[in-house]
Amino acid sequence: MKILKTIWKYTKSFLLFWQDFLVGDSPELAVGVLIILGTAYLLRKSGDWDVAAVVALALILMIITVWRKTREH
Amino acid sequence: MFSGSTIVLIITVMAASAVEAVEALTIIMASGITHGWRSTWEGAIVAFLALAAVVGVLGTTIIHHVDIDVLRVIVGTLLLIFGMQWLTKAILRSSGFKAMHDEAKIFEKDVEELKKEKHIRTGKRDSVAFVVSFKGVFLEGMEVVMIVVTFGLSNGNDYSQLKWAALGAVIAIAVIAVIGAIVAKPLAKVPENTLKLGVGIILVSFGMFWMGEGAGVKWPLSDVFIIILAAIIAATTFGLIAFFKRAHNRMHHEAHTV
Repeated sequence: MKILKTIWKYTKSFLLFWQDFLVGDSPELAVGVLIILGTAYLLRKSGDWDVAAVVALALILMIITVWRKTREH
Repeated sequence: MFSGSTIVLIITVMAASAVEAVEALTIIMASGITHGWRSTWEGAIVAFLALAAVVGVLGTTIIHHVDIDVLRVIVGTLLLIFGMQWLTKAILRSSGFKAMHDEAKIFEKDVEELKKEKHIRTGKRDSVAFVVSFKGVFLEGMEVVMIVVTFGLSNGNDYSQLKWAALGAVIAIAVIAVIGAIVAKPLAKVPENTLKLGVGIILVSFGMFWMGEGAGVKWPLSDVFIIILAAIIAATTFGLIAFFKRAHNRMHHEAHTV
């Protein structure tokens, strides 16, 4: 039981480290990037729409993230 | 000997490493001055070795076991997340919504905090100095490791790019360490925000390109499209800085007139 608790403690710390490292205080960024990835997959056979969608979504994500942060400050 | 993308790779990794090395140097100096240099250096060296091991293990594992398209998606996604994080911070600082990163102030704050910590000595060693130095170098360095590994593996399953990326990081860290040792104070004059802005634009452009390519997007003009992406991201970045700078000044003006 003690071993399980210790394993859980270290696993939790490890996962929290990576969560903080990759997501940090901008969860919308991580979610947004995954949405862009999903959209790229869905539109990959749609001619030039995939290129336009990836670029447009990345710019929208950038604008929303900066705008949200300015509201926090 | 060098292709265009290798030069961009080396310059980007060097700039990113320089930014993180300056921040790690401040922590090392604060720890060394308040708790002694021996354990501080030991902590820094152990952290540096741990980071090198992460690059070796992660790089080798990914090269041998991950399919090229999956690799591009992982590389692109990570670069896009890191790049966006760097760009957001740089835009907020340039527009005045966030204070500029001031190494001298951070150094003073770190020294004050470390003075309050008791010296915990085991033999001739100080465990506080070791832990502070190790954590500082390891955490600041982890971002560089991710950039080195992801950027270094962007060309697929070969070590050549990874070697150049690692070399770029080592050179930048060595230069910052030597300058730090000569001037013996935090490097407050390094234009950190400008470097973050430039690196952020490159990371986002390459991240979008590789993530898209891994997902099956057919970029027009192939690799040349990265330059177009960089131009679009740069234009948006400077547009956002100008817009939010005006908004910040207006808010500041209104706050003073009320």
